Amino acid sequence: MSKENPPEEKLVDEPTVVNMGPAHPAMHGNIFIKLWLDGERISKSQVNIGYLHRGFEKECENHCWQQIFPYTDRLNYVSPMLNNVGYAVAVEKLLGIDVPERAQYLRVIVGEISRICDHLTSVAAQGMEMGAFTPYFYLMKGRDWLWDMKEEISGARLTHAYVRIGGVAHDMTPGFKEKTLEMLPKIEQIICETEKLLNKNRIFIDRMMHVGTISAEDAISYGWTGPLLRGSGVDYDVRKAHPYLVYDRMDFEIPIGTNGDNMDRYLVRIEEMRQSMRIIEQALEQIPDGPIVVDDPLVVMPRKAETYNTIEGMISHFKLVIDGIKPPPGEVYSYTEAGNGELGFYLVSDGTGRPVKCRCRPPCFYGMTGLSHVIDGHLLADIIPTFDTINMIGGECDR
Amino acid sequence: MTTTENKLPELEGEPVEISIDGEKYEAPAGANLLEFMIGQGIEVPYFCYHPGLAVVAVCRQCLVELKGMPKLVPACQTNISEGMDIINSSEKVLDARRQLLEFTLVNHPVDCPICDKAGECILQKQYQDWDHAKSRTDHAKVSKPKAVDVGARIVLDDERCILCTRCVRFMRDVAKEEQLCISHRGNHAVLSTAPGHRFDSNYSLNTVDICPVGALTDKDFRFKVRVWELSSVNSVCNGCATGCRCEVHTHRNDVKRLVPRRYEDINLNWMCDYGRYTYKALTDRRNTLPFIQGKEAGWDEALDFVGKALEKLHSAGDGGKVGVVLGADATNEDNYVAAQLGLEYLEAGAVYLAAEPDGKGDDFLRVDDPNPNRAGAAAVAGDKLKSSADLASDLKAGKLKALLVVGDKLHLPEAAQAKLQDLDLLVVQAAHPGAVADKAGVLLPAAMWAEVDGTMVNAEGAVQRLRAAVEPPAFARPHWQILVQAARKAGFTLDYAGVKQVHEAMKKEIEPLRGAEWGKDLPPTLLRYAGSRG
Repeated sequence: MSKENPPEEKLVDEPTVVNMGPAHPAMHGNIFIKLWLDGERISKSQVNIGYLHRGFEKECENHCWQQIFPYTDRLNYVSPMLNNVGYAVAVEKLLGIDVPERAQYLRVIVGEISRICDHLTSVAAQGMEMGAFTPYFYLMKGRDWLWDMKEEISGARLTHAYVRIGGVAHDMTPGFKEKTLEMLPKIEQIICETEKLLNKNRIFIDRMMHVGTISAEDAISYGWTGPLLRGSGVDYDVRKAHPYLVYDRMDFEIPIGTNGDNMDRYLVRIEEMRQSMRIIEQALEQIPDGPIVVDDPLVVMPRKAETYNTIEGMISHFKLVIDGIKPPPGEVYSYTEAGNGELGFYLVSDGTGRPVKCRCRPPCFYGMTGLSHVIDGHLLADIIPTFDTINMIGGECDR
Repeated sequence: MTTTENKLPELEGEPVEISIDGEKYEAPAGANLLEFMIGQGIEVPYFCYHPGLAVVAVCRQCLVELKGMPKLVPACQTNISEGMDIINSSEKVLDARRQLLEFTLVNHPVDCPICDKAGECILQKQYQDWDHAKSRTDHAKVSKPKAVDVGARIVLDDERCILCTRCVRFMRDVAKEEQLCISHRGNHAVLSTAPGHRFDSNYSLNTVDICPVGALTDKDFRFKVRVWELSSVNSVCNGCATGCRCEVHTHRNDVKRLVPRRYEDINLNWMCDYGRYTYKALTDRRNTLPFIQGKEAGWDEALDFVGKALEKLHSAGDGGKVGVVLGADATNEDNYVAAQLGLEYLEAGAVYLAAEPDGKGDDFLRVDDPNPNRAGAAAVAGDKLKSSADLASDLKAGKLKALLVVGDKLHLPEAAQAKLQDLDLLVVQAAHPGAVADKAGVLLPAAMWAEVDGTMVNAEGAVQRLRAAVEPPAFARPHWQILVQAARKAGFTLDYAGVKQVHEAMKKEIEPLRGAEWGKDLPPTLLRYAGSRG
């Protein structure tokens, strides 16, 4: 256009609509945010979930109570043990049984290892998606070591299905305790290295501090729990507020943030890993000898020797596999502290071998509900760190 | 004609007051205590008791405490009387039941993984419900004959037998053919065939149903499929005009077995072996594609052909020369649509009935008439029904130009058979090849009884509901659907969206079927979740 004829029409002032995800790498492949942009600022956003919906709850209705464990592995697949534990605790509440102490300690140990894995992954992704690739590898190295430990105790690396209704599947392997205690200082070192790389990094701070801020009231009203809520300064942790397993015997602290921004959520996760390590050390110290499953033939399968050699064991095995465990009719809501917050299971039993309803309360589903509230009015680029610190795990959010 | 709901027998007797575990009940005097307790939903374990058999109290599993009696008494052999004070859940009672189960299991083989009964085994169920204790024995189990070929359809495993004598009593009292007995004593007692007998009764498979364990197994069903993988659909046997109520058990769209469904008024708890094996016809040499003049055709083409031919005959005023043949093996709905086509559209004045000639029944369940729905076809066509003998003479007299045959049951004498070739049009809707189907100008593959929804009328006039358990093979379709579609092509609109609409229309029109009930549409039940059948 020449200078003599300036354009008469003004610039278009309607918002630019951008579809972010679900194929966008920072959306982890399964979230789609529709953005109405005013320049680079988000005037409105709409978060769409469901791209990883597998019908977990419906699937549960067609499976025996004990067959559901492998499905729970695939909820938050970064910390499957915590989902195992959450589900097992719920069914045990329905059955009204007490799990042997050794099994409770084992659950705490593997659960806290999983929590560290969860936070390592989350922190690694936070750094990586803002360009800090180095800490990612350091942290993944640590996660790998922890996965080795989980593999050792459960036989599986990612989807463990280690917990059983009434206990756990296997006891600790010989040397597990020593190996784990050796491992923890190495993890601590990795965390320190990461802190050195990130905590005072200008770019990291600029993108994390005062970004994605949510007040405690808003966080509560959106149903946020776990590190998301604690980042906003609310010291709510199911392990302290409503202790389950043997958490009431553990000495640990709940780190909380002050601003409720991305930096706080990051720092809370960093500190939680340290607290988890403290718990693991104490649990390994306190763990008593004893059985790892309850002695209840209506809940726990007989030992293999009994199954193959006695008709009583064979029938018991058969009935448990074919008909399933039969909790009394009733309903129960049970909740535990998973990697991203309160993982709840609402179970309804009609006295048969499979649940009538198995509702899962996935913590990051609520994180996604509040995402629009946190990002609206901010810059497009702020979505990335905010989405990362909310730590949406598709398997859990969409179920 | 009425459809009766599935119900258990009512206990009869003067109402008296009894107490069970401290709770007061009004119970009929003289009635069987166990039956009363089961009816009240009180849990009692038992093996030898069966509602269709005489009481012997050999298993001792239903022991209860009765105030005033020094020892525990078996509930099944106790008649209710005024003021009885029964204790069903004391430690003494539960302990006795546990001990009995322990004894029963001492010599029971570890066979569950290879036993057909596993999953619907009463012993498994009772052990899990009442005992679930670990084994306390370490000595070898008594060995007995295994996999004994005792009859044409039955295999016996004596190690699994818990000697409840249900099968012996069934054969003696119900089937009235005493072919089984218990021989030897104590640890060595075995079930065997009576001297000089083979276990070949036409009712032998009922013993497989009532066997609480896997001692008697069905050769046909053996090792075929695990029972908990089966889905069950309620239907009615099509083996003869008795119409025994049965469950069709399927696995991956394949019928695996038929088992009787308890119904007081017709078949009680039983079914004959012949009827059980009728499911085999469902997969035996089925017609799967439409054929025109011996050539494969698509449905559109075939229906077009039939529709146009019928239309031509109708417009030429030759509608009356079309013989519509109802099937005694087709449902009422199929026959009703066929009759509508014949009587209303073609104005034929009469329709024929194709039925299998009488066979030989027995004095128990099986009757002479092997057709499952002769009475229904007769009701649908009313006084406009002619027999297949009439059809033969009409054919011979050359009164017919075309024939539309529903079902597989048309049997004609040879002379009449030969005349089929002179017809302008022979349309056969059949499930299997046969003498008539092979001569068909247009052969339309039809669905069979276990593949369709509908109703049938048994010899005694009971209207019973059939439910589709499996999909028809390949391109086969239900008779009524074929008829409606062909009629549409001929320009005669039968406005039915589904077989239920046919049923409703039929009920309004056909006086004898007015009381018929369609009933609920029950989805197939996976036996795994149906609880132990026992």
